[in-house]
Amino acid sequence: MKGRKISQNVFRGILVAICVCSLIFFAGTPSLAGPEVVKIGNIIPLSGPSASVGQQGKQVREMAVEEINAAGGIKSLGGAKLEMLYADSESKPEKGVAEAERFINTEGVHVLTGCWNSAVTYPTTAVAERYGIPFVVPVSVADKITEQGFKTVFRIAAKDSWWTRDQFAFLEDMEKEFNTKVKRLAFVYENGDWGKGFAGQWKELAKKGGYEVVLDEPYPSTATDLSPVVQKIKRARPDVLMLVSNAADAILLTNTLAEYKVKLKAIIASGGGHADPSFLEASGKNARYIFDIVEWETDVNKPGAKEANAKYKAKYGQNLTGEAVDAYLAMYVLKDALERAGSVDPAKIREALAATNLRGGPGMIVGYPAVEFDKTGQNKHAALVMVQINDIGKGIERITVWPKEARRAGYTPVFPMPEN
Amino acid sequence: MIYIVEDLINGILMGSIYGLTALGLTIIFGVLKVINFAHGSLLMVGMYVAYWAVSLSGLHPYLTLLLVVPVMYLFGYYLQDIVIKPIFKAERDVREPITVIIVTTGVWYILDNLTLLIFGPQYRSIQDNPLRGKMLEIGEMMISVPKLWGFFAAIITAGSVYWFLQKTRTGRAIRATSLDRDAASLMGIKQYRVYNIAFGIGTATAGIAGVTLVPFYNVFPTVGVLFDIKGFIIVVLGGLGSIGGAILGGIIIGVIESVGPQFMTATWTEAIVYGLFLLVLFAKPSGLFGVKYEW
Repeated sequence: MKGRKISQNVFRGILVAICVCSLIFFAGTPSLAGPEVVKIGNIIPLSGPSASVGQQGKQVREMAVEEINAAGGIKSLGGAKLEMLYADSESKPEKGVAEAERFINTEGVHVLTGCWNSAVTYPTTAVAERYGIPFVVPVSVADKITEQGFKTVFRIAAKDSWWTRDQFAFLEDMEKEFNTKVKRLAFVYENGDWGKGFAGQWKELAKKGGYEVVLDEPYPSTATDLSPVVQKIKRARPDVLMLVSNAADAILLTNTLAEYKVKLKAIIASGGGHADPSFLEASGKNARYIFDIVEWETDVNKPGAKEANAKYKAKYGQNLTGEAVDAYLAMYVLKDALERAGSVDPAKIREALAATNLRGGPGMIVGYPAVEFDKTGQNKHAALVMVQINDIGKGIERITVWPKEARRAGYTPVFPMPEN
Repeated sequence: MIYIVEDLINGILMGSIYGLTALGLTIIFGVLKVINFAHGSLLMVGMYVAYWAVSLSGLHPYLTLLLVVPVMYLFGYYLQDIVIKPIFKAERDVREPITVIIVTTGVWYILDNLTLLIFGPQYRSIQDNPLRGKMLEIGEMMISVPKLWGFFAAIITAGSVYWFLQKTRTGRAIRATSLDRDAASLMGIKQYRVYNIAFGIGTATAGIAGVTLVPFYNVFPTVGVLFDIKGFIIVVLGGLGSIGGAILGGIIIGVIESVGPQFMTATWTEAIVYGLFLLVLFAKPSGLFGVKYEW
């Protein structure tokens, strides 16, 4: 009896040993590249005045991440999936900062993206920098975001000094092409970081270009009546009106300008509200002939662009915007960096992001050839196009007109605006 | 000179519409003694009802009043009856129950986010409508026709609410309750029914304001917030609970907003409005046209 008991114990011991060994063996190899997830914290305005663009930002991110995960996730991490976390900034800087703290400390995210509103992105990137978490900025355009000397900030979109530079280059090209002289400029802009940043650069560019600034008017983006501002525009008699607006005020301004029959040679807008898909629906034919500067348009000549837009439209019922495409691309830039980093260590991801040189693949549906970050974290290839809003028989749409080589075949821009 | 007249007219028209948006706030405060933080959201609901009624039927916006007013009245009536009344009953001994204010804040958030969920964040504005974009041109002066309609709507609404409160039996019951709710109850007035009616009337005026705004403004889930802040300032300027005060307070703000930008940038007029607001609070806390005696 006694001997049997001993042998039983030995047998049990061996069994346990085998189990433990096999556990170590099986757990050992795959755990080096186990099916982890990469947590991406996204801080965007899901409610409040910019909710419309925030929702698009969320939808387009979802679309990109679904594609990436369906294609096998991050292969160098053993097929790790991207897990998306969203926080609502309500377009408020203090909310952005608080949510970044929460994402990093409570949720343990590996990467942050956001925040659309420059005023929110600016303080929020400082939080990421403090904790060393890489922060990919798809669209906030204020120059100062990449001029803080931060190591963890990477911006995909062109910065606003490039936007204003191209707006004036466009204006000069138009004057030459259509042999029309423009002298008097009016600047009307929302009273935030974004609008004031643009206006400051416009003033310098106007001085350099020999234009006369007849009106320089900030207005509160929450204005419920913009006819006083429109009256000021009308009385200043400018040739060209340059705008920076969020969505609600862009619609209100466009409709009020039409009501008061303000005569202008051209209106040049700066994306944002004018690029919002509901802008065209809500202002209808009043939006005709407005020029808008964007990074991307649905008629851009790039492989995959049409397909991505068709997919998004089928899913969410709207066309992609330049800003949405930036967010879409941001996910692929992240995927590319994660593949090369082979780790979820924020420092390694940062190194990989800094070495990005993305020239193709499913996310590269932008007009420019590559994504490559300079020392400040700015994508040095980001470039811009001008579109004109017009109806050429297929309803109101946005038509690429500048640079001339990117112009839609067969379209002649309307400049100056006809008097009707 | 002609510019000043033109701006003054626009200011008066737009201001009376501001007054109309604030009318419900002042009525509800006058009777319930509660600041209704959900008022902007009620305005938003009114705008959506008007927007859908106009864009689906293609009718003149003001014809939809026939639908909007009863719908909004019932909405307000039952919102007070089902959501707010129980809180009132729990705090029946308090003159200005704080928890009710918190509940209205909750209603605000729920309504705004429900709208965001159902209709999405898009900005909508009615196209191809008889009122949209119409301008009256007198020489060089241009006057917006939809705003002119809004002005008359505001005056008529304020006038009829005033008449209703002064001349009808229910109106007298409402005034009695607002003066002293316990004494009114002792006289056989059903206090909570009066509250329901007052809330219904306040909500219906928000609906009328929605109809006046839809022809020239766009509709989106958080649109109420923009008018809410203005509404509070207007109501305090004009005197809480005063109907004429709300319209006059609105016109003061409208004129500052409209004439001011011709002498300074538009952002400064906001500072003037808030400055005036503070000044009134210091000098005459009951408001410019507020009643001196305690309600």
